[in-house]
Amino acid sequence: MQKEMAYSFPDEVLKHVFSFIQSDKDRNAVSLVCKSWYEIERWCRRKVFIGNCYAVSPRMVIRRFPEVRSIELKGKPHFADFNLVPDGWGGYVLQWIAEMAGAYPWLGEIRLKRMVVTDESLELIAKSFKNFKVLVLFSCEGFSTDGLAAIAASCKNLRELDLRESEVDDLSGHWLAQFPETCTSLVSLNISCLGSDEVSFSALERLVDRCPNLRSLQLNRAVTLDKIANILRRAPQLVDFGTGNYAAELQPDVFSNLAGAFSSCKELKSLSGFWDVVPAYLPALYSICPRLTSLNLSYATIQSPDLIKLVSHCPRLQRLLVLDYVEDSGLEELASSCKDLQELRVFPSDPFGVEPNVSLTEQGLVAVSLGCPKLQSVLYFCRRMSNAALVTIAQNCPNLTRFRLCIIEPKTPDYLTLDPLDAGFGAIVEHCKDLRRLSLSGLLTDHVFEYIGTYGKKLEMLSVAFAGDSDLGLHHVLSGCESLRKLEIRDCPFGDKALLANAAKLETMRSLWMSSCAMSFGACKLLGQKMPKLNVEVIDETEPPDSRPESYPVDKLYIYRSVAGPRFDMPPFLWSMDEAVKILH
Amino acid sequence: MELQLGLSLPSTPIFPFKMLDLNSYGYELREGLGPFGINVNNNCGSCSSSCNSSSSGGADDGGGGTKTRRLLDEENRIVPKTLPLLFWTNQRPNDEDEPKDVDDHSSSAIFKNDGEGLVGWPPVKAWRKKVRRRVANVRAAVENSCGGRASSSTYVKVKMEGNAIARKIDISLHHSFESLTTTLMRMFDISDENGQKSFKLTYLDREGDWLLAEDVPWRTFIRSLKYIKLIRSRC
Repeated sequence: MQKEMAYSFPDEVLKHVFSFIQSDKDRNAVSLVCKSWYEIERWCRRKVFIGNCYAVSPRMVIRRFPEVRSIELKGKPHFADFNLVPDGWGGYVLQWIAEMAGAYPWLGEIRLKRMVVTDESLELIAKSFKNFKVLVLFSCEGFSTDGLAAIAASCKNLRELDLRESEVDDLSGHWLAQFPETCTSLVSLNISCLGSDEVSFSALERLVDRCPNLRSLQLNRAVTLDKIANILRRAPQLVDFGTGNYAAELQPDVFSNLAGAFSSCKELKSLSGFWDVVPAYLPALYSICPRLTSLNLSYATIQSPDLIKLVSHCPRLQRLLVLDYVEDSGLEELASSCKDLQELRVFPSDPFGVEPNVSLTEQGLVAVSLGCPKLQSVLYFCRRMSNAALVTIAQNCPNLTRFRLCIIEPKTPDYLTLDPLDAGFGAIVEHCKDLRRLSLSGLLTDHVFEYIGTYGKKLEMLSVAFAGDSDLGLHHVLSGCESLRKLEIRDCPFGDKALLANAAKLETMRSLWMSSCAMSFGACKLLGQKMPKLNVEVIDETEPPDSRPESYPVDKLYIYRSVAGPRFDMPPFLWSMDEAVKILH
Repeated sequence: MELQLGLSLPSTPIFPFKMLDLNSYGYELREGLGPFGINVNNNCGSCSSSCNSSSSGGADDGGGGTKTRRLLDEENRIVPKTLPLLFWTNQRPNDEDEPKDVDDHSSSAIFKNDGEGLVGWPPVKAWRKKVRRRVANVRAAVENSCGGRASSSTYVKVKMEGNAIARKIDISLHHSFESLTTTLMRMFDISDENGQKSFKLTYLDREGDWLLAEDVPWRTFIRSLKYIKLIRSRC
């Protein structure tokens, strides 16, 4: 009897213990211990994250986890952000909502990224989930303000509505007025993506007024500078604020009103927005700058001197997003003022110009690497780079977890030596042992991939463009990077051999994207037929791939592991290489 | 490169799949030579460890507590999960193996967007580009002393009373009522002075009111303009 007690706990006890385990990885491990733990765990899992909506079907999720309260889904491949995935590719959420409406009446949170969300889906959410609290639509599309009106009207306890970077059809500006007067629960509202005329300001003001817990508010461009003060005075508890338009004729009373409003926000730590900035209004922020930890100026076309002045007031800055107007001089100032900096993103102001329009080079990034020892995450667009600079950066910042470098002209060599940048990126992967995400650019041979395969043991996501000489490059990555989950490649001379030799590796990854490479249709078919747990999908908008010789390379290829089998909702330009799928084109 | 399997190379025809019994082939190899057979360099040794590492969670379909680490093929034999479709050798790939027309194909695939350059390069989010274009339009309007418009586009619909067809005009090209009126007259073919005097310029503003353009300063007009309508003067 005592022996039994020692080896088993009542289910209730286990359930209670499991409730402290939040991470998916840990939960998955728990479920593998034994059958009874699997059973208990699946009944008490409340949050599910699905990194690829086609990897599993809604029914399968519901069958295994019957009591989910929060779901996160991702749809299109990352390269859809850069127009590489044709319209109509997929990622429809309606099917998911429809099934969950029946199975999860208590679903409270839906977070979607790169999915197609229709008004019908939004209306179904509004109707089906009585306790709905959180809706995050990150980079989604397909819905209008009508759908938003349904959400606003029905979700009595809505806490979060975040539409960041989504494409919304403007039909009426009055959806905000649909929030009932009794709705006081909002904590976070992000409507920064809405076009100019889509927001009724008076409704917004009233909403802000009655939501005392509002912590995060991102306005859209329609909200003019003179109105910002009104909003801030109604919500001095804000922690995270996105301005609307930050431009107006300089008027002393407007300025002092704005400065006063900002200074009353004692909790404000994060600022964004700044569409269209008049620099003379920036000093209105000075009172809160000492507390700022995050600043997103990536839409602000302000020049380096104004940026330097602003940044020098923000010693606690941890995160800065900025356009390359900041220039090397601005980054040098950043490096000396902001010792807590962890994340830096520098975007190109003129990405398609041939000549540099600003004086931003590798020097700026080197300066930041030297001055900011806590730097972990970098996204940097520039026009020249050297191996020496990359080696210096790698040595200065061994704690880098994300390093994304985009040298704007493809295949640009080291500007000092004209060598490929293999050694530089090699130093990055060698020194930064915790590197999880890497994006390459510049002139690169197979050698860089050898370094990556050798050192990039924690690398989870790799983006490659215009690099490599042969299949050996791809082989190094697939055979060496043990933690690789997402691989996206464009315009590289990688063909069939490396992929087929490492076919099993693909089952350990979330997905592989290859476009404008040298993978042949025949090899794709082989892969699809021999690897039943992979969906191998060929995208070709010009003509069916089987109308050409088998040796002909495919245009775009998307391979992902799936337990759901081939898709049911494939558009005409997408071909599944699964033998079981009859192609009806 | 030396291939262990008779798989189709770009320049050779595909063998019927019955002949490619990969499962048994791999199985035979395993017995004699270890997981990846002969002629594989050391890098591939790490391939087996990377392929064998358990895939991280996600929603696993049903099943018991233990994960099956091996595939079951059609005949229900256990097949090692790490079986590749191709065995890698460390010889450099033969250039002749590459499809000859891959360069032509890929270069034509790249330059798709009508001379604008590479599709999706540099990798700036499409959304960010769209926003920047809108902001630039607005700034162009501001620089032309238009002072920040009601909508992000600088094109405004114009209708003339008695004329069914609406036209569009780029308001950012104008800095005064004079230049605007001249263009409008030309657009609607009102050439003579009498004709010009008989029309009044009215506009719909942001608040939804129709106002006489001559009553407001240019800046106010531009800032709140949504539609323009030419109406016949009553006097």
